[in-house]
Amino acid sequence: MTKPIIEVKDLAKNFGDNQVLKNISEQVNPGQVIVVIGPSGGGKSTFLRCLNLLETPTSGEVDFDGQNLTTLDTKKVNTLREQMGMVFQNFNLFPNMTVLENIKLAPMKVKNVSDADATKRAHELLQQVNLDDHADAFPSSLSGGQAQRVAIARALAMDPKVMLFDEPTSALDPEMVGEVLNVMQDLAQQGMTMVVVTHEMGFAKSVADRVWFMADGYIQENNTPEEFFSNPQTERAQDFLSKILM
Amino acid sequence: MKNKLIMAIALVMALVAGWTATTTTAQAATDDSLAQVQKSGKLVMGTSPDYPPYEFQATVHGKSQVVGMDVAVGKKIAKDLGVKLVVKSMSFDSLLVALQTGKVDMVISGMNPTPARRKNVDFTHTYYQGGYSIVINKSDKGIYKDKDSFVGKTIGAQTGSTMYTESKKQTSGTTVKGMTSVSDLILGLQSHKLQGVAMEKPSAQAYVANNKELAMIPSKFNLSASDTSASVAFAKGSTSLVAAANKSVDQIRKQNLVNKDYLPAAGKYLKTNTVNTSMLHYWKAFLKGIEYTLIITVCSVFFGFILGVLLSLARMAQGGVFATALRWLATAYVEFIRGTPMMVQVMFVYFGLGLIVNLPALTSGIIAISLNSGAYIAEYIRGGINSVDKGQTEAARSLGMTKGYTLRYVVLPQALKNIWPSLGNEFITLIKDSSIVSIIGVSELIFQSNIVRSDTYRGVAPIAVIMVLYFIMTFTASRILNHFERKMQHD
Repeated sequence: MTKPIIEVKDLAKNFGDNQVLKNISEQVNPGQVIVVIGPSGGGKSTFLRCLNLLETPTSGEVDFDGQNLTTLDTKKVNTLREQMGMVFQNFNLFPNMTVLENIKLAPMKVKNVSDADATKRAHELLQQVNLDDHADAFPSSLSGGQAQRVAIARALAMDPKVMLFDEPTSALDPEMVGEVLNVMQDLAQQGMTMVVVTHEMGFAKSVADRVWFMADGYIQENNTPEEFFSNPQTERAQDFLSKILM
Repeated sequence: MKNKLIMAIALVMALVAGWTATTTTAQAATDDSLAQVQKSGKLVMGTSPDYPPYEFQATVHGKSQVVGMDVAVGKKIAKDLGVKLVVKSMSFDSLLVALQTGKVDMVISGMNPTPARRKNVDFTHTYYQGGYSIVINKSDKGIYKDKDSFVGKTIGAQTGSTMYTESKKQTSGTTVKGMTSVSDLILGLQSHKLQGVAMEKPSAQAYVANNKELAMIPSKFNLSASDTSASVAFAKGSTSLVAAANKSVDQIRKQNLVNKDYLPAAGKYLKTNTVNTSMLHYWKAFLKGIEYTLIITVCSVFFGFILGVLLSLARMAQGGVFATALRWLATAYVEFIRGTPMMVQVMFVYFGLGLIVNLPALTSGIIAISLNSGAYIAEYIRGGINSVDKGQTEAARSLGMTKGYTLRYVVLPQALKNIWPSLGNEFITLIKDSSIVSIIGVSELIFQSNIVRSDTYRGVAPIAVIMVLYFIMTFTASRILNHFERKMQHD
């Protein structure tokens, strides 16, 4: 049996009186692609953000690579965080830096990679996401699809073991969704461990190893995509699937 | 005699009173004042060089320096002690505080030994006995004869001076208007806001000799000897130094040196001084003023910015008792600085801190303005940091960057862009507000213009010149700032 890379135990998160996550326990194995789907407000993004401690869990633990993040000191959390790349709905590119500088910043400042090496690696990643000709552009001149691909390249520059995607295509014009999903699919085929919060059911069907259906603060169902979409087990999932256009 | 009360700095005085008390008692217990001066080899004289012929600025061999009969008295005392005389210029208001806080060893500035003043400092014997005159416009000659001719009219005198008090006391039906500087009073006279200006006889003579439109009449005030005599002031308790200086003063009196040598010499400087009163002739003085104004402004903005960053971070500190204390302290600092006048802060740093470390005036000015500016900049930066999207911090943290790196490389550059217009505003405000340090004798533009005004006896021209100069500086600065603002635009 392989050792899970991420293991969540009894994870709970409250915002004031509002309990957003209710005792979640799941695990992610190396190389797996997990797609988290479910209705809005079900706690998907909060769950993802708890995985790299952008949100501090109220209780429970998050183990990454065998270490419980919730008990580690800040310094250790920083080093473990760099092994979990994150891609945001709104890209969050640094607007005051060029595309190349966006990608080079963290490797140079956090890992002390030399400028030459960081530049070389940034160009490789830009080729991978088909944007090497935009290396010197500023984020404001990019389309949403291009910006999100740069954001993926930026996260990959830290050579993460896991990639977390928080609704990466939700802010995009429909015609740009494809280019981002293609890059993610390539990444999955290369064996990257991924946790993806998305509404793209097609992506879930074709790329996911497991689908986690999340609603009301619980993971209601953890299934293979085939089983989940053809034969959902829980009533909540059946209800959700019946409402979306397939 | 000039007898200006130190009203404006009463607050500073109160604050330093504690220290002063301890220092003065210490001095009284062991008076080594004379030994100390002899050991250092120099005698530092404080004076306010805007009062010809007592003391004023003159260009000697192309260099601007303080001259006048008081400087001659100071030189004589220093020479008799076998040490070098160092002259320090500052506003009259600041002189006694400077003496009490050890910034200067003695004050010679046409100061009269009033009983009130004797409580705080020690005086030598009198070195000069003067009298009062009233300066009027020449066109009014014949209308006014003495102090009693001004019924229903307005006369002017230096605020808080004996002239001012006596004018109020000894006239009836006359409005007495106070102003800080004699040059301003003369300006008021020439623009007919005042019909007469009461001042000391030698000063009146100097003004009349150098301005053909003025005339003088006797004042006929009833005055006691202590109101019209000038003495040298020393710190309280420096008995040995006073005794040594008295020997020189007695010689000056006995040989009538003031009337025989010092006043004629001062008159000569006044003559050479007013040969060329065109503003162009004084370009060096103005240039020096610009130089100091810019030095003060640039240094203060630089240090103020660093302080502002630290303060804003402290105000946003989170987690733990330490963070709460830090936040509270930073907030208290900002509130306190914003709630007290910059002028008081400047004097507090120069005189107050001066009791612990002897800081030069320029350094004190820069420190005070940096401390002041830091409080304002802190608020701008706090707003700027809050204006940066939270997603930027999250993206940086998710890449493994520490809080510090995130702030330095991601948040602050963007915050800086957002607050650039406010920072620019602060910079331009400081160019103008740096003029406050003129009160502790830093030769920035206002200070220099006052010197030019008292040198040339021209009231308006120097003001017009510095107005234009300030505008050129602020306009250039705002152009440069706009240039950088455009450079930072990426979206």
